[in-house]
This record gives sequence, structure tokens and C-alpha cells, in this order.
Amino acid sequence: MRLHKMIARGLLPLAMSAAITAGLAAPSHAADKKLKIFLSMSYIGNDWQAEAENEIRAMAASKSLRDKVDLRIQVAGPNAQRQIQQINSMVQAGANAILVYPISPTALNAVVKNACQRGVIVAAYDSVISEPCAYNFHIDQLLWGKNQANWLVKQLNGKGNIVLINGVPGTSVDLLRKQGELEVLKNYPDIHIVAQANGMWSQAVARTELSKIIATHPWTSIDGVLMQAGCYTANAMQKEAGIADDKLRPCGGEASNGGRLQMLPAGTQVDGANGSYRPMGAHRMSSGSQNFSGALALKRVVEKLEGKDIPKLTVIEQNLVTNDNIKLCETGSWAEMRAGCNVFKPSLIPNPGWFASVYSPDVPEVGVQGALTGKPEE
Amino acid sequence: MTSAVVRSAPPSGVAPRSSSAVLFLRRNRGVLIIVAVFTALFLVSTIFSGGSFGYFEASFMASGGATLALAAMGQALVILVGGFDLSVGSVVSLVNVVLATHMGTGIGSEVGVGVLGLAVGGAVGAFNGFFVAFLGLQPIVVTLSSMFLVRGVTVLVLDSPGGSIPDGFKNFFTGAAIPNFLPAALLVIAFAVVVWLAIKGTRFGISIYAIGSEEESARSTGIPVRRTKFLTYVVAGMFYGGAGIFISAQTGAGDPLIGDPLVLETFAAVVLGGTVLGGGRGGLIGAIFGAYTLMLMVNILLALNVSAYYSSVAEGVVLILAVLVSALHKDAPLAQGVGSMRRWFRGWRAGLLPSQIQWGGAPVHVELSRSAAALRAPNVSWMQRNRERLRFALPAYVCVAGVLVATAIVRPDTVEHWSYYNSLIVLSSFLIILALGQGTVILTGGLDLSVPWVIGFCGILAAGMIRGSNEASLWVVPAVLVLGALIGTVNGLGIVVLGLPPIVITLAMNGILQGAALVYSNGTPDGFSSSGLHWFLTGKITGIAPVVVFVVLFIVGAVFLLGGTVFGRRVYAIGNSVTVARLSGVNVPRTLVLVYVLSGVCSALVGVLLTGFSGQASLGMGDDYLLPSIAVVVVGGTLITGGRGHYLGMLGGALLLTALQTLLDGTNLPHAVRDIIFGLVVLGAVLALRERQTR
Repeated sequence: MRLHKMIARGLLPLAMSAAITAGLAAPSHAADKKLKIFLSMSYIGNDWQAEAENEIRAMAASKSLRDKVDLRIQVAGPNAQRQIQQINSMVQAGANAILVYPISPTALNAVVKNACQRGVIVAAYDSVISEPCAYNFHIDQLLWGKNQANWLVKQLNGKGNIVLINGVPGTSVDLLRKQGELEVLKNYPDIHIVAQANGMWSQAVARTELSKIIATHPWTSIDGVLMQAGCYTANAMQKEAGIADDKLRPCGGEASNGGRLQMLPAGTQVDGANGSYRPMGAHRMSSGSQNFSGALALKRVVEKLEGKDIPKLTVIEQNLVTNDNIKLCETGSWAEMRAGCNVFKPSLIPNPGWFASVYSPDVPEVGVQGALTGKPEE
Repeated sequence: MTSAVVRSAPPSGVAPRSSSAVLFLRRNRGVLIIVAVFTALFLVSTIFSGGSFGYFEASFMASGGATLALAAMGQALVILVGGFDLSVGSVVSLVNVVLATHMGTGIGSEVGVGVLGLAVGGAVGAFNGFFVAFLGLQPIVVTLSSMFLVRGVTVLVLDSPGGSIPDGFKNFFTGAAIPNFLPAALLVIAFAVVVWLAIKGTRFGISIYAIGSEEESARSTGIPVRRTKFLTYVVAGMFYGGAGIFISAQTGAGDPLIGDPLVLETFAAVVLGGTVLGGGRGGLIGAIFGAYTLMLMVNILLALNVSAYYSSVAEGVVLILAVLVSALHKDAPLAQGVGSMRRWFRGWRAGLLPSQIQWGGAPVHVELSRSAAALRAPNVSWMQRNRERLRFALPAYVCVAGVLVATAIVRPDTVEHWSYYNSLIVLSSFLIILALGQGTVILTGGLDLSVPWVIGFCGILAAGMIRGSNEASLWVVPAVLVLGALIGTVNGLGIVVLGLPPIVITLAMNGILQGAALVYSNGTPDGFSSSGLHWFLTGKITGIAPVVVFVVLFIVGAVFLLGGTVFGRRVYAIGNSVTVARLSGVNVPRTLVLVYVLSGVCSALVGVLLTGFSGQASLGMGDDYLLPSIAVVVVGGTLITGGRGHYLGMLGGALLLTALQTLLDGTNLPHAVRDIIFGLVVLGAVLALRERQTR
């Protein structure tokens, strides 16, 4: 008892004050050495952006980076003017590096050049900054279009009526993807594009646009679909129109988890499946802009700041998922995904529009939990 | 306009004592306040970022806000003359791509193409001005259609980001005018200010204020109203051209989407700068500071390290506060509101309110109006009574018929099947419902910009709480509608009690709800619709989607609400004249709040229905409904300044827009051509309306 009291009266406060001093000292000490990295996002109001942001946060919080990096996230909104202003003020605030989801591939060139001249590393993910001093991390969008079109042509044996749902008009990603698709399709004179619309990379818009198309081109007159985003919705709409699972039109498109779940053989038992968010053996090719590209950019940028050389352009490999290699994940850990699974249970991912393209061999720090909540893999 | 007190004539007791300094302060209150707000925010941002403020910082800041400032100056000019310009962003984009694709190196090309940029802006301005001034069309419709037309042309000039601007041109605008002392951007703004001050002093400048204050009086005093309006749009277009030139120099390349987000930002900048929507009061200097204040928000959010999800909330709050500051004087709506509350309370205590006075016998006015209606009804034919309404509502339906004929030609086997009409009504249902809310707001002379994120937030909340359960949806749907009503109440109270312009409070509300949706969903909305709700929109009973029946009932209810109830009459009364309505005993504040409540409920309902339609809710699901919700209302013959319009006209507008998009989506036409067709049809619809007007 006495001993306890002694400890309580004497040692504890001592220990506490020591801890407090240490606690106060440690962060300030570390802060001096920490790299100041900013993230300038453009728009945050969609699933893809939110997921990418979570993965970047997970990367910054991972064991390898958490003591090195002080990450600050800002949103510029859809206005390029504001992103220019934002990057400028990040440079002024003493950034070591700035990660950017660029609103425009060209509009930021001047401000990025200025940042580079002041010794700041600037890296763009998913979309592009065309200023040569910037580092870029993205997939080959032209190839994306070619892959999707080639797959669809093969499914249709080079013959049939197809519908195109594009992305946001006036963006280079949309243009490149369309170019890739058309380059392939023009070799097949028996493939007819009967209608196209802009789906704005949103499942909700894809539904309204596709509904408009179906009003004048009923499903009976359509043999296949190419959608930059919205295959999940296209399949759901066909189910509502009373089309049987095995008669679903082949759809080349995005990497939504809902769309991938539909690819599993009909009857597969999956936790939480409901409505159209269930296995139905849909004919699909599923791939998309990789959500980890920002996290990978952060990792590489830190390496660069530590003195390692990194290439100006990192073309991220596409993860092509078809009915041949679709595989359900149990937990969604990075290790499990490395073993080849690529779609998640609805009980884990209740939102079918959530993007399942989270796996990269290069970012073991981030798994599904990282993309969902910003927590790194342990 | 609505609560306008004649500023130049101060209360008689004060006038003799006012020195010229006091008069100056009084006249320039709007500008002075925004300068004060700007300075305060500037200090906050400089102190918190811990940095010094030198030439480089000044240069960044001057260039950073210049494009928005120039565009906002043009917008302010249009608003001063009583207009409204939605084409601003598309003009900036067009000038940008023209410069990026046509400018070569060499002084000749740089100057020549630069001037061409100004001319392009002026030309679009002349297009707008022609239809507004000489054909008497509503500015919002004209500029909406020119926005689509210009957008289409822009993509034809340059279909994706690219092109380049020579270095000499870039440096001229964004470099230093005097090295290490004066950034060129400041000189550009100074030049724009000189142009404005020169205009302001001329007859033309005075005419702008006169027309904006009271068009009829201006006409009576011999001011050339049409010519002045036309010129105002041309000059405004040249300001947009200037903004396009500056952004080209600043970015060094072309991007066909670069100007799109400028529309709402210029409105915010103009209102922050003390210019009153409706015209006549304010100026372009305030708009410049408004623009720089908005850009400064970016620095503040960074300096204070405001988390990403909260940035739109912080901006909304600052917007409200900045405008509120300017409301802290004695003839501002806030003070007036407090004053009238106090008078009401005094009257109530003394028992002098009309409602407290015993009139003896039954309320007379009800009897009177009934018998009057009964007397008049048999004498006047239906056509005579409704001619006015038909005039404005019919063109939309004529256009719908035209689109149906076109659809029948392009896709012969669709129009004869009921399923086509079923899809058409289901797809129109969202706009049909929004049209009631937005339309009623517009009838009172307001505008509800919070539509996108009321839809998004309510949809996400509904999906998150329903989670596939039909039982849950029974209480969730009403609960979400109540939430929509609460949001509308806040909008309405902001307008009525705090005296905020409708655009400010609803724009701020939109930002706040965006933040709320992000925080609630943590960036990934994960709820989903119940099977019943999904069936309601996508299922079929003998070929008819259940929602079609609902829409029909909704239309009947909406027509009755606006045409057959006391509330409806009050709405029209307020739209025609707030003062007359108030003097006639209409409880203006209560009616206005109810109008925004109605709009909130309609948006919330659309959020729920869209969730049912898609099966899920997603962030940004309401983004594509703001402009269409306004477009259907005005295409349906409603006057944007309020007081005129019929719900059946708006219904025609909703059907027209949806049928047209359905037709265009079913083709392979390039996106640019679709935009152009869309713009032409909108313009055509209102032109038809105008011809009937003159006959």
C-alpha cells in the first residue's frame, strides 16, 4: 500500500511530467523534419475522388510514411482559377511537394512551372498536367478505349448494334477513350453505333441517359454496350426490362464493385447481395482509372524527396477483369488481392458504385480498408 | 429591387446635417464594406499562413483573381441594367480556345488575335443584347440559349484541352509591368476600372443606372432604353472577352471547359460587391473586390487547414457573413424587419392589429370574393379568361409536338408505342416536380440555387436510412421531406429575417449541404433504395410506371396550389409587387418562407425519387438539375422577375427539354451539335412566345 502511494504521489507525477515533456517535444522535433506535402483536389463530390483521397490518406498514415510526411488536403472545386490560386498558396506555404488532381491538363502549366522553379515537386494523378516538369501517374486512356472495344467486338463476333455512353465532354480523358474505341470499331463495318450520350462518369447520369436511349432504341435492337461508367446500371435496367441473366448484353466498362459482382456466375452465394447487386453471370470487361494512382504518386514523391530518381511519367498498368479472371475477395486485404481476387462482398461494400480498382502490387500499404476509411494495412 | 428605399434621399431630418463625407460613405457603402471584408480576410490569411507579403505574393494574388474580376465586372454591368447573364462562362471558354488555336508568335498575331478575342466577346454580347433589347426576351432565357450555343461552338473550335499561347503574350499580362514593383495583372484591372469610370460618367453610364432602377421612368424621360441595353450587353461581352484573354495568358493554353464554373462565382462576386440583383444599384468596383475576396477564400482555407469536407461549408458561411455585414445599417432589410416586428408587437399589445379588431358579424371579404367570382364566371368564356395564360404556355407544347414529329421521323417505330411516353414521363418527372418549387420561387422574383445539394443530401440521407427496407422507407420518405421543408425554412428565414438576397442564401446553403452530405457519407454514400421505392419508378402495372400516376396527381395538385388557393394568389401578388402585396394585407414574410419550404420539399422529393430510380444515391446526383430546373420554368413562359407564369407552361417546358434530350441521345450527333440544337430550340421556344406577345 505504502509503496503504491509512494508511486502514486511521487513517481506518477514525475513520470507524467516526463511523458508530457516528451510528448510536447516529440512532435515539434518530428515536425521540423517532416516533409510538407499538400494535396490539391479538384472536385470531391463523387465516389472515385473520395476513394482516391482515402487511399492517399492511408498511404500517408502507413508505417513507412507516417513519421516522414505531414499531409494537408485542400479542395479547389471545379474552377481551374481556384486550383491555380491554391497551388500558388501551397508553394508560398512552404510545400516540399504538391499532389494534384488537375482540373485541366493545360490550365495549371504556368503555376506548376513556377512551383518547379521554386524547387517544389509537383505530381498529378489520374488526370494529366502537360507541363514537362510535372510528374504524372495515370493509366493509358487511349489503350483503355482500345481494350474495351476489342473485347466487345470479340463478344459480338464483329457484328451488331452498340450504344456508347461517354464521359465528360471536353476533357482529354473522354476524348482519348473515345478515340481508342473508335480506332478499333472502324475496322468492323458490321458494328453499328446506334446511339451515344454523355454519362459524365456517374452511375446516376448513366441511368437517365441510357433510359432516354432505350425510349427510342429498345433493348431488342441493341447487342452490346460500351460505357465509361455505368455497366452496373445497364445490367440493372435490363433486369427491370425482364431480360434473363444469360441474355444480358455484353458491356465493356468501369470497375464498379456492383458491375463486377454481377460478373460472378449466377447463383454464387455472396453475403449481402440484393436487387441488381448480385451475381448474374453478366458478360463484362471491367477496368478503370486506378484509384490508388494518388497513393502511388505520394509514395514515389517521398522517394524522390529522399533523393531517389523517379520517372516523369508512370503509366499505371490496367487491371483487366473479365468473366475468366473474376474472383471474390473474403476480406479485401492487400495480401488477398495479390493472390488474385478483384471483387468484394456487398456486406463489405454496400455501395455498388464504389470502385473496386484498388489493388496494386506497388502499394502494399493500402487495401480495401484504406480505400474505405483511410486506414493503412498493418 | 423589392425592398428598395430611395438611397439618394435620406430621411428629411438627417439631410441638412449630412456633410459630403457622410454622403460619400452612404453612397459607397456596398463597396466600402466589401473592401473592409477583403482587407480583414487578407490580414487573416497573411497572419495565419505566417508568411510575409512581398512582390511575389502580390503578383500571384493579382493574377489569381483577375479573370474572375473581369468576368464579374461584365456580369455586374448586366445586372445593373436589370439583366442576368448565364453565358459568361461559355464566352470565357470560347475566347480562350480561339486564342489558343489561332494565336501565333509575333506582335502582329498577338495583338490581332487578342483584339479578335475581345470582338468574340462583344459579338456574343451583341447576340444577347439583340434578343433582350430589341425583341424583348428575358435575359435569362436568351443567355441560357447562348450559353449552349457558345458551348457547342467552343467544342467545335477545340474538342479537348490543348493549343498554346505565345510566351510574349503570357508575360505581357501575367509578368511585371514594373519589375519587382507592379504586377501587370494589377495594371489590367486598373485599365478595366478606368474604362468603367469613363463609361459611368457618360450618358450611357447614367442611362444604365436609370434603366436598372425603373425602366418605365427611364423610357419616359427619353432615355434610349433599347440601345442602352444592347450596348450594355456588348460591353459586358467585351469584359468577358477580357477575362478570356487573361485566362489564356495565365494558363498558356486552351481548355473548352475552363469558364464553365464562372457563372455562379460571378454572381457571388457581384452580390458580395454590393450590386443589387434587379438592377440600378451597385457598381463594378465592388465586383472586383468581391471576386478577389472569393479567391482569397482559397488561401484562408489553406492557412486555417480547413478539412476538405468542410471547405464548401466554410465558404458558404463566409458568403453569408460578408453579405450580412452589409445589412447592418438602419434601412437594411434586417433593421426594417426588426422594426416591423417591434411595431407588430406594440400593435398586438395594444390590440390594434386588424385580426384583433372585432368587425362584428362574419368575415365580409370571403363572402364578397365568392359572390364576385360567381357573378363574373358565366359572362366570360374560358378562352377569354385563359388567353393570357395560353399565350405563354402554349409555345412549349407546340415545340413538344415538333420534337415528337422529329422523333417519329428519326425513329419511326417508337412514337406510336406507349412505352416511349411512359419513359418520357418517368424521365420528366424529376423536372416536373422541381419546376413547381423553382417555379414558385421564381414567381416571387427569387431563385433557388440550393436545388443540387438538397437533392443530393436528401437522397443520400434517404438511401442511408432506408438500406433496402420497405418498412423503413415508410417513415424515412416523410422524414426526408420534412428535412427538405426545414432546409427551405432556413432559406426563407435568411431572406425574410436577415434580408439576404435569395441567390446568396441558397448558394451558401448549397455549399453547406454539400459538406453535410460528404461528412454524413464519409465520401462514399453506401445506402440503397428499397425494392418498393425502386419499383415505384421502374416497375410497371399494365405498362404504366406507378410514378406516372403520381406525376399526374402531382400536376393536378400543383395547378390547384398555384391557381386555386390563397397561397397561390399571394405568390403572384408578391411577384407583381411586394409593396402592393404588403399593402393589400398579404403576409409577405410568411408567404416567402412557405415558397422556399415548397421548393425544399420538391427538391427533397426529387432526391428520394432519384434514389429510387437509380437504386442508390450518389454524391453530385443533383448537379445536373439546377440549370434545367430554371430552364423549364422560363421556357414555360414564366417571367424571371416574377408575377407571371402558369404551372402548365412549366410542365410543357419539362416535357420539351426531356423529349428533346431523348431525341438527341438516340442519335450519333456530335456533342457540340447537340448543344447548338438545344440552344436553338430554347431560343425558338421563347421567340414563338414573343411573337404571340406582340400580336
